[in-house]
Amino acid sequence: MTLIETVPGPARRALRAPGVRMACLALLVAAVACADLFAGRGVTPEGVREVLLGGGDPTAEHIVLQLRLPRLLVALVAGACLGVAGLVLQSALRNPLAGPEVTGVTPGAVLGAVAATGLGLAGWESPTAVVVAACLGGFAGAGLLWLLAGREAGDPEQTAVYGVLVSAVLAGLTAVVLLVAPGELGSVVQWLIGSTEGRVWQHWNLLWPWAAFWGAAAWLLAGPLTLLRCGDEQASAAGLATGRGRGAALVCAVALTAGAVSAVGALGFVGLLVPHLALAVFGADLRITLPGAALLGATVVCGADAAAQLLSRLLATALEADRLTLPVGALTTFVGAGLLMAVARRRADER
Amino acid sequence: MAPLCLGAAALASAVCALSLGTPYVPPARLPATLGADGLAGLVVTELRLPRLVLALIAGACLGAAGLVLQEALRNPLAVPEMLGVSSGAALGVAAPLVLALTVPLGLQPFLALAGAALGGLLTLVAAGFGRSPSAVLLTGAAVAAALQAGLLVLMVMADQLDLQLIYRYLLGSLSARTWDDVTGLLPWLAVAVPALVLCVPVLGVLRLGDDDARALGVRVERARVAALGIAVVLIAPVVAVCGPVAWVGFLAPHLARRLRPDGGAAGWLVRSAVCGAIVVLCADQPARLALAPVETPVGAWTALVGVPVGVVLLKRGRRPARNRGPLAPPVPGTPPDLPAPVLRKAER
Repeated sequence: MTLIETVPGPARRALRAPGVRMACLALLVAAVACADLFAGRGVTPEGVREVLLGGGDPTAEHIVLQLRLPRLLVALVAGACLGVAGLVLQSALRNPLAGPEVTGVTPGAVLGAVAATGLGLAGWESPTAVVVAACLGGFAGAGLLWLLAGREAGDPEQTAVYGVLVSAVLAGLTAVVLLVAPGELGSVVQWLIGSTEGRVWQHWNLLWPWAAFWGAAAWLLAGPLTLLRCGDEQASAAGLATGRGRGAALVCAVALTAGAVSAVGALGFVGLLVPHLALAVFGADLRITLPGAALLGATVVCGADAAAQLLSRLLATALEADRLTLPVGALTTFVGAGLLMAVARRRADER
Repeated sequence: MAPLCLGAAALASAVCALSLGTPYVPPARLPATLGADGLAGLVVTELRLPRLVLALIAGACLGAAGLVLQEALRNPLAVPEMLGVSSGAALGVAAPLVLALTVPLGLQPFLALAGAALGGLLTLVAAGFGRSPSAVLLTGAAVAAALQAGLLVLMVMADQLDLQLIYRYLLGSLSARTWDDVTGLLPWLAVAVPALVLCVPVLGVLRLGDDDARALGVRVERARVAALGIAVVLIAPVVAVCGPVAWVGFLAPHLARRLRPDGGAAGWLVRSAVCGAIVVLCADQPARLALAPVETPVGAWTALVGVPVGVVLLKRGRRPARNRGPLAPPVPGTPPDLPAPVLRKAER
């Protein structure tokens, strides 16, 4: 801030631009949230409007206030968590391909959550245990990747490939756990792909304090992370203890991912691609870009949720199936995979 | 030494496969039981023996396919699982099951074939026919993730009973397969083996790098597509019969290279097929016996053991490669960056 006060003119203008962009993004979030609230089956848009204005029949009121609203909030916060976690990871590891999905964090968190549920240590009665287990699993996955890639983590693509291998091992372990407890399979499948179906206020009550705490921690780390992005030599020359800073950032990223995974499951590619979008929109100053990534992540997940609901309605009418739901995770994974393919293609052409 | 160990492991596993279980048949009485009447004879000849043969054939196919892909793309990590081939094949088999379409048994390999070809071609085309080996992997990971998401969508749509069925299938299992399944694989082998023999020399040339291969008259893109086609023909019927037994195509070629670091493509291909067969056979024993009355899928075991061991072999194999010459050619890219500066100088 002092920088801006001492340097007038261009710097001020530079600040104004991100401010405008942030406001636009906030508007976009609001629009997407509205869309998510009005999409979906059971209640007509007029019914939703009546409920929001304080009227409507009890069924509509229940659906909107007890089902759609918590679902919307959970989607927003989980998306924000994933976006921030991805940006923190990519900055701390200086690897543009380090999303939580390809560093073993998400599969590890899924394994932790599934294992805790399958072995009876945690259930819907004790949701805190799920978060803790997901957190432990996330750390285990990240640790496994670190063991594997080790010190030769210089090549981003090599690390990403190792990350895929780690994910394979963790998925195998998840499968074994599911074999031991086959009764859980039906409920866990939703988790494996990432879904916002049936999220209620309890999920929200659990998610937001966790997200707020670790989000604040991530924002406090924005300065050190910006330095880390410039490289270890520059960072330590500027007086940063790089090892400690990186460790704190990783803890933060894993905690955020674990929170999101325990709430909505493994949403594919959100944590990998949202940071790139945020960096493209807001630039490299993480003090601005971190909140931007949070907003963008919320927009993406919530928009995907709304789109998924609309699509599953369309599909249901087209196929004449009475119950057909497209999980959000499927949509984000399909879109994300397409984007990733385009990116890989471009990188190959550049060489 | 190593070949002896492998042979011993294979023999021990084969004896285990035939004698352990309920009813227990002592190894000494196995020859007498084979083909004999009675419960023990029936179980051994009609259940355990076909399972053993199927494990060997499946492993050999997967191992050979893994080696073909790795050599053709010049990347030690280019395995069916990373290229979307396995997920594509699994999607092809699982889709009719969920959508309640009745498909004759003979058609299933073709569905798997279509799915595998779709996944593999998508990867290959999107990555520009493997000019940059690491881009292939990244693209493959994206394609595999998308296909996996498709599978998960199917699983979400399925009801509980179908779900259990699909899940078992997706992990790859050899349980309750009979001689019919084994004979169903044979026609495919009759196509694949001659194709393998024909493609071995081309694989040897492809190892030299794109430019050298082109100089020797190999059309690189076409050769890669052909190699992918052969791998798909090898993988798809196996996936249709026993599900995607994961990561055998990763482990077996690395074992083969370890056995004979200086062998050419032909030697590795044979060894890789043998190693794959032994790996699947060995992994099938814990799958059958670990949680005794309940079967565990063999694919879970191959994934849990195959990936770590394969990575260790890969890392070990790389270090001497730098001193000793072309063992597993590391990322080659486009070797000569010379032309550009040379041209620039010429312009001046």
